[in-house]
Amino acid sequence: MLSLLIFLPLVAALLILVLPSRFQQQYKYITLGVSLIQFVLSLFIYLKFNSSSLAAGISKESQYQLVEKLPWIRLNLGNIGSLEIDYFLGIDGLSMPFLILSALVTFVATLASWEIKTKLKAYFSLFLLLNTAVIGVFCALDFFLFYIFYELMLLPLYFLIGIWGGIRREYAAIKFFLYTLFGSVFMLLVIIGLYFSVINPATGNHTFNMILMMDPANYSYGSIFSAIADKNLFGISARLLAFIVLFVAFAIKVPIVPLHTWLPDAHVEAPTPVSIILAGLLLKVGGYGIIRICYSIFPDAAMQSAWWIGLIGVVSILYGALNALAQTDLKRLIAYSSVSHMGFVLLGIASSTTEGVSGAMLQMISHGGLSAMLFFLVGMIYDRVHDREIANFRGLAEIMPQFTAFVIIAFFASLGLPGFSAFMAEAFSLIGAFTSEQVNGLLPRWMAVAASIGILLSAAYFLWTLQRMFFGQTRLKGGEEWLSKLSDVNTREKFALIPLAALALALGIFPSLLFDKMNASVLAFVQLISG
Amino acid sequence: MMNEFIPFISSSINDTIASLSYFQSEATLLAGFILVILSDLFFSKKYPQLSFGLTISIILIVMVQSFGLLHIESKSLFGGMVILDHLSILFKILFCLVSLLFVLFIRYNRSLQQHEKGTGDLYAILLAVHLGMNLMAMSANLLMVYMALEMVSLGSYLMVGYISRDQKQSEASMKYALFGAVCSAIMLYGISLLYGFTGTLDLNDPSFITGLNNIPPMALGVSLIMVLIGIAFKLSVVPLHFWAPDVYEGAPTPVTAFLSTGPKIAGFALLIKFIAVINSLNIASFDINLMLASMAIVSMVLGNFAAIWQNNTKRMLAYSSIGHTGFMIMALFVSPGEGYKALIFYMFIYIIMNMAAFLIVDEIEEQTGKQNLDEYNGLGRQLSILMICFVLVLVSLTGLPPTVGFTAKFFVFSTALNAYNSSGSLIILMMIIIAAISTLVSLFYYLKVPLNAYLRESAYSGVRVSNTAKTYLSMFLAFLLLLLIVFPSLIEQFL
Repeated sequence: MLSLLIFLPLVAALLILVLPSRFQQQYKYITLGVSLIQFVLSLFIYLKFNSSSLAAGISKESQYQLVEKLPWIRLNLGNIGSLEIDYFLGIDGLSMPFLILSALVTFVATLASWEIKTKLKAYFSLFLLLNTAVIGVFCALDFFLFYIFYELMLLPLYFLIGIWGGIRREYAAIKFFLYTLFGSVFMLLVIIGLYFSVINPATGNHTFNMILMMDPANYSYGSIFSAIADKNLFGISARLLAFIVLFVAFAIKVPIVPLHTWLPDAHVEAPTPVSIILAGLLLKVGGYGIIRICYSIFPDAAMQSAWWIGLIGVVSILYGALNALAQTDLKRLIAYSSVSHMGFVLLGIASSTTEGVSGAMLQMISHGGLSAMLFFLVGMIYDRVHDREIANFRGLAEIMPQFTAFVIIAFFASLGLPGFSAFMAEAFSLIGAFTSEQVNGLLPRWMAVAASIGILLSAAYFLWTLQRMFFGQTRLKGGEEWLSKLSDVNTREKFALIPLAALALALGIFPSLLFDKMNASVLAFVQLISG
Repeated sequence: MMNEFIPFISSSINDTIASLSYFQSEATLLAGFILVILSDLFFSKKYPQLSFGLTISIILIVMVQSFGLLHIESKSLFGGMVILDHLSILFKILFCLVSLLFVLFIRYNRSLQQHEKGTGDLYAILLAVHLGMNLMAMSANLLMVYMALEMVSLGSYLMVGYISRDQKQSEASMKYALFGAVCSAIMLYGISLLYGFTGTLDLNDPSFITGLNNIPPMALGVSLIMVLIGIAFKLSVVPLHFWAPDVYEGAPTPVTAFLSTGPKIAGFALLIKFIAVINSLNIASFDINLMLASMAIVSMVLGNFAAIWQNNTKRMLAYSSIGHTGFMIMALFVSPGEGYKALIFYMFIYIIMNMAAFLIVDEIEEQTGKQNLDEYNGLGRQLSILMICFVLVLVSLTGLPPTVGFTAKFFVFSTALNAYNSSGSLIILMMIIIAAISTLVSLFYYLKVPLNAYLRESAYSGVRVSNTAKTYLSMFLAFLLLLLIVFPSLIEQFL
């Protein structure tokens, strides 16, 4: 089942590669079909998902669902035993929501790809390859496999930004690539270190199985990352160092301040569908990695660094919001608002409370939908007049009433209006951060207070933008020419926007749609990390 | 005097005859060498591609013969002159792969094919060099080491200067020959010192080790370093790398591809032998391992950083291969005891990647005349399939998924971290971190190719060029790189 979900896009990509170019108008329908099938499959998975506490997953291999496990690489390395690498997939409550999100965001991004006019064959095959990698990351439970999918995301994105991007695309693409690779090269070393520390009790071999890495009893005595041996590297505890390396690798993706500088460039230069995928899915890979890997494998080091992670979260929230206030380019504004909103994810995780972690998970799903919607909306304006400077538009509400309605929904949902998903998510993250001082004493209260100022700031920049661009007398920089080009939302665009708006509303009114499915896993996770 | 040896004659003849059956592949190469010369002399007019066909079938035969002896017990042949074991056979198989790709490369290289000399001699030289490399991998005697090394060197000098069209190429071959001659002279001097100290040339003779242990560390150090200089020249490792960029740029591209793989790997086969000797010495004051490790580090750093500033593609690949050599020395350094699995796996992949890279560079040059990275604008459209292969190969050279270059790098890192884990030696940790950083640095220059070919458009929109044999060959190699990450056991089972 999961393999089908992962490799369906790959098969479609190969199909597109072999189809002759005269069918190039059909490529987008193939891609759309793939994303629809994925969406149906993931809905099916969602409905069939067992949310009882006996299927919580996290650190118990037997509790994972839809498990696929095949031996893959067994290289005998002489006296150090043989490499045990498995093709090992499975989901629990923390990864299942991302499957639905992936399918939905891919669907929207495909609809946004209608505007791509050049080199369609290359575009759609890279797009589908990226999709394979993203879903693979969310399903992989073998660290080696995870890493392969994780790295596989880089190349398609590099080309997608670099070939179909804006004017400074070269710079943006290479900056993105180097930033991410910087994190992941050192992650590889930690992975190998973990591999040599962990022994599969069933076979006696070293293993890349992530779930076995979560159990301190599987660490061989005296290995680098053994909690009991507590070895030092460069003067600090090896486990803490490994945690920091992994955290930095994922935090670059999230992104956190000060490692966020690739994001505005990448977003501004990327074509709309790539921005959608980037904001909707790839940032979530960072958050997912922190939960699934950093926290679950190194809970002791995570507890030690909780204060710092909370601080990074708060700084990202405030710094991102303040930057968003200062932007004149609409797409850049939304990029910075992503930095700000992803800060809540970090804050929620850092609190290590049930509320906080649930909030962080909900925030990732909610932001995945909303950022996709926001970037889609920006893309609509840009495709029509090839401009997105806020100052160049005024009174759009008069000429594009439906468009304005969608923008209002997206803006209000994002700034945390009750009734929309972001409100629930941010509220839970903040509750988590607030109660943390009482429950586990990890985060001081002022962090929650400071983070709530972030909500205020996001209201400020969204409302201000709304006022500047959409209300008042219609005045456009391009005059009559723009007026004729700025047509209202068409059917294809409605197909993309309505599901996203529905998701935001549904999760805002019935957050239990998601909470019920992942609650058991969140509880198990909190129990694992707080020992 | 002579009479004293008479009783030994029959036993040594018996030994030689018994050894011959293990020497099939070398005998085939020798016969092939003569056969190719003769066929080129007498039939080259009538059947111009006869020597090509002969060479390729000889190499295939040698490959089959080598595979036949794969899981052999270690055997000492010809009175201890050569030793045949599993590792040396693995090296021989690697050499077959190199030669095979090289022969195909020559066959489809236009400038070599159109040259008035013809390619017959080149094939003959190749077989001789191949024989030399095989002997390098098996030799267990200093005299044999030197002979084999010289055989490879002489052949390589001829190959580099094979066309010598312009001044640059003549300069390259002259430089290579002079530099090589000096290095091998130094090596010979070192060997003679070792012989003087120990009274034997046999590397596995116990008296060789005890003799070395009894001499002053300073003298031992000097003579060992002298021997290592000869090997380091073949490896083109820093600080003996100066020849590499010029020669790689000046030599005909197929020859460059060969030099960056064949003799280099043969050098590693020798280095393994010397490290085994050095490790069995009990010297405290002279740490040759430290020297090797620092050579590895400096090569990785210098090779990768210098490559960033290159514009000529072949020069860039030359520096990148210096970086890879540093990486392979690290792999050698951390390989436990006898199992060099990670290293051999890496070499196998390295051969495929490097051969493919030069194959593609050559094809681009022949199709469009472009030799520099900044001229590659818009090639992504013009030579679409070839450039896709090139990107895959470069991704593999960087060591990223979804190519097997990642698996190879991963195995080496695993072995290295394990070595650090069991020894706690700081120098290994240093090497690992430098290797990780240089992986990152290597991306800067490898990415220049797709950057220019895809991200920058050119005004030129010439006709699409038809695919040639070289394109198909590079497609096949690039496909191998993708296939092997899914099924690494295809290689692994032989290790």
